[in-house]
Amino acid sequence: MTDQIAEAKETIYQVAEDVLEKLAFLFSFREEERGPMDYGSAVVASVSFTGQFKGRLLMAVSSEMLPELAANMLGIEEETSPEEQRDALKELINVICGNLLPEIAGRKQLFNVNTPRILPSGEIEAIISDKNPAATAKLALEEGQCDLILYLDDAGPGVSLEPETPEP
Amino acid sequence: MAINILIVDDSAVMRAMILKSLRMTGLDIGETYQAGNGQEGLEALNDNWVDMVIVDINMPVMNGEEMIGQMRENPATADIPIVVISTEGSEARLERLREKGAAFIHKPFTPETIRDTMRTMLHLEEND
Repeated sequence: MTDQIAEAKETIYQVAEDVLEKLAFLFSFREEERGPMDYGSAVVASVSFTGQFKGRLLMAVSSEMLPELAANMLGIEEETSPEEQRDALKELINVICGNLLPEIAGRKQLFNVNTPRILPSGEIEAIISDKNPAATAKLALEEGQCDLILYLDDAGPGVSLEPETPEP
Repeated sequence: MAINILIVDDSAVMRAMILKSLRMTGLDIGETYQAGNGQEGLEALNDNWVDMVIVDINMPVMNGEEMIGQMRENPATADIPIVVISTEGSEARLERLREKGAAFIHKPFTPETIRDTMRTMLHLEEND
């Protein structure tokens, strides 16, 4: 693993931990040793971006965590709707991605972050099997898990992130 | 004097979070209005008197930067204080917003940050 990948992974961890705590009042813990989540039983959001480099960030969260996550963000005790839960996850990945890119590329770089969306399960499998991610961060939440997966389509000049070696 | 505020963000969850944070500031918040993009925000300004606009940057239809530009060109809205709440990290884009007189709050934010920024923008005293 290159130093750049290690740095990108560390940056994802730092940004995700900070945003989850401040925005959703959720404490997270790194789970570097475990394998990827079961994305079939998770809700997965995706946001694409363009700029010095382009790609997309995926955020998978255990489906049982979503009601608490949305309620915390909205500051309400009553049950949240599935739409509110999906919107909450989309806002989380939007803020994480928006904070992540300048941390990796520097604040002089201009990025355009597109509107986040929830991925249908078929698309998740296609993305994961299509190419290796540049970096993956695996977190434990209070009653679930969260994976953040960074894919780069085209690393421009000065960007030397290379795909991670697939886990055996 | 109660402060009337327009919140412009394409995320309903973020609008709710900003509203929740406003209510936690301890400031006298009056009427609040919401819009999902810059175009809807300008329409809301035509229909309502507000003391402050809180606006995101990245939105469909009309982004926050364009909305702020149109507000500054219209004498009826040119002097309304504007706070941008965004994940934006580009120094160049932030400088363009500052040149238009907008304050900036970075997401994720705290109610205290919103309170302090509002006090500065609206020239409020500690006990207002």
